[in-house]
Amino acid sequence: MDYAGSDTTTGPEADHQGPRSWQTDRSRAPAVTKIVIAGGFGVGKTTFVGSVSEITPLRTEAVMTEAGEAVDDFEAVPDKDTTTVAMDFGRITLESDLVLYLFGTPGQKRFWFMWDDLVRGAIGAVVLVDTRRLEDCFPALDYFESGGLPYIVAVNHFEGTARYEPEVVREALSLPAQVPVLVMDARKRITVVDTLLTLVGRALEITPGRL
Amino acid sequence: MTAAPVISAVGPVARAAAPGRRTARVRPYSLTGGRTRFGHVLLVETFVAASADPDEEPAPAPGGLAARVMPEVRAIVGLCRRLRSVAEVSALLKMPLGVVRVLLGDLADQGRIRVYGTGDATGRPDRALLERVQSGLRRL
Amino acid sequence: MRRILIVGAGQAGLQLALGLQGRGYDVTLMSHRSPDEIRSGRVMSTQVMFHTALQHERGLGLHFWEDRAPRIERLGVSMAGTVAGRPGVRRVVDWAGRLDRCAQSVDQRLKMAGWLETFSERGGRVVVHGVAVSDLDFLAHRYDLVVIAAGKGELASLFARDPARSPYTAPQRCLALAYVHGLGPRPEHPEYDAVRCNFVPGVGELWVIPAFTASGRADILFWEGLPGGPLDVFRRAEDPGEHLARTLELMERFTPWEYGRATAVELTDAQATLTGRYTPAVREPVGVLPSGVPVLGAGDAVVLNDPVAAQGANSAAKCAAVYLAAITERGDAPFDAAWMRATFARWWAGARHATKWTNLMLGPLPVHVRDVLGAAAGLQPVADRFANGFDDPADFDEWFYDAAKAGHYVARARRPSTTRS
Repeated sequence: MDYAGSDTTTGPEADHQGPRSWQTDRSRAPAVTKIVIAGGFGVGKTTFVGSVSEITPLRTEAVMTEAGEAVDDFEAVPDKDTTTVAMDFGRITLESDLVLYLFGTPGQKRFWFMWDDLVRGAIGAVVLVDTRRLEDCFPALDYFESGGLPYIVAVNHFEGTARYEPEVVREALSLPAQVPVLVMDARKRITVVDTLLTLVGRALEITPGRL
Repeated sequence: MTAAPVISAVGPVARAAAPGRRTARVRPYSLTGGRTRFGHVLLVETFVAASADPDEEPAPAPGGLAARVMPEVRAIVGLCRRLRSVAEVSALLKMPLGVVRVLLGDLADQGRIRVYGTGDATGRPDRALLERVQSGLRRL
Repeated sequence: MRRILIVGAGQAGLQLALGLQGRGYDVTLMSHRSPDEIRSGRVMSTQVMFHTALQHERGLGLHFWEDRAPRIERLGVSMAGTVAGRPGVRRVVDWAGRLDRCAQSVDQRLKMAGWLETFSERGGRVVVHGVAVSDLDFLAHRYDLVVIAAGKGELASLFARDPARSPYTAPQRCLALAYVHGLGPRPEHPEYDAVRCNFVPGVGELWVIPAFTASGRADILFWEGLPGGPLDVFRRAEDPGEHLARTLELMERFTPWEYGRATAVELTDAQATLTGRYTPAVREPVGVLPSGVPVLGAGDAVVLNDPVAAQGANSAAKCAAVYLAAITERGDAPFDAAWMRATFARWWAGARHATKWTNLMLGPLPVHVRDVLGAAAGLQPVADRFANGFDDPADFDEWFYDAAKAGHYVARARRPSTTRS
């Protein structure tokens, strides 16, 4: 790869408003935090991120070996080839000194090692659900439940599909009563913002106050 | 996958760089005030930037990892004229995240890259930060 | 200075990293968790370390917890059975062999977190990252050597399974362990600590292991159950309290003599339980990245034994010791695939005994083995030799596997005038 030849002065990312003031002041950095958007393939994670991001979502890729069934400390590793995993992310400058990142991450259990990486320091996770493929979100729910990370469930409602009430989805997923469930549209910025606010509200509920 | 025979790239490349003696290592966390015993944990959202104007960069000391990855290192330092997150460096340079973490760690040790705000970064955000995020989102 | 990249912060990876660091190598270590995350995370293993493995740690000055960890002086064997005309499950075999030198088990959450911090404080670079093949592909030819010691993680699939050395295609045990405080001393021998394997024929094994964890002295209750059998009842991510309750119910039913001292136990912490199962495998030691660069596998990544014979951590420690010697002896010569294969072969020369011993324990015990275990009750030298075989499983080759040899050895031990050679 020809790294030296890339346009590294301005960076190739497309910011809808050009560089932010904090980007050019190297004497200090804004506070930064993140939210993880998890869900199955094609559930709309990148659309979700793109609806609120100030930059066109960026992508990092990892090539991993094809370890079919999941791996925890005590599980097996079958032998197969390699596969590429993509992680799309976006950014929102909330204040001149506060930046929020949104990281979309694939939902399969075998990407656990990327989740560990992503949830480190995160506000929490939005588990994005497609009611036609509910089971795709099970591994993500298991992961966030056992990890103690604040999470909510957002049903991405696709036009032309049946619309389910949140309580029906809650029951179908056996979600605890305190976990918020909402129906939204990942293409609509206002519902994405609402979803993020719901998660932050949930995180505040379970974050202890100052002594 | 079966084990392949010796690949010539390993030996010669490796040996060519081996003789140089490293200069004394800067303790990783000295750059961030030594708040942790452990040094950097570079989160995907951690901000980094070049410490000096990259045009005035001295040539890297021979022997270190940087000497073996000149184009990549130059690309990182160049990109970091602006504040960047670790994930942005990875995505914009199409470099695997783990590689970016290794190279940034090296560059931070050499004092060429500044890592912002590490310390107890692996914990959950506190209420004050959550409240700021909440107000920020409400203003969108 | 030679640059070495080690992936994985377990017994093999960290022991090798610290050893190489002490000899002036420039070592980068990649771990998917930080020390704090390891320390506050879930228990990982039972990690009984016998004398040879402990000596490797002492040799590197890494025995930080030795004074606090319980000294395991004996290895006990019990076997459950029924006695005609008497109700319930009883101990039909029960004895304890003396270990020549004591064993210890230090919670790997403490040990690996502490070693990782030590490595970092001594100037080693730790990169906290869940390593993918693409990372390695880019980094590998920038290092003189890449060692993959990432245990059961997905990188293990870089190393092809060696069918000739891997008899199993499915898990042989379902595993469920719990770290507890409050286990009473064994009434038969309150004066010393012993690690004990309770065989329940046709069902599985219960290991009881004195250990040291963050909150002090603990014991590990470790059920190894035949898949589909009565011990195969632990669900994944089960509530820890339920896990312990289930553990105790099974002890009451199958090993009531151990249950008797376990009535007041409590979990050491909220992360003190672990369940799972995996298929034992021996793999090719050299993996080749998509770019063609070879990498060397270490520890569990290439020799994954069931924990039923408590060989995992011991084998990893021996692996790190062999690799450390091989790397330093190599001088400035290249770490090519041929060298990697030769290095693995040095380790395998010993490791194969651990695998053979483990696989014997996994199968139904042969009649002559059960005879030896029964005879050892009255023959302390037989019990002692069996116990010390866990430290040096090569010794089992000399007397144990072959029915005729074993019979001969036991017969000689019975003669009062004969002492163990």
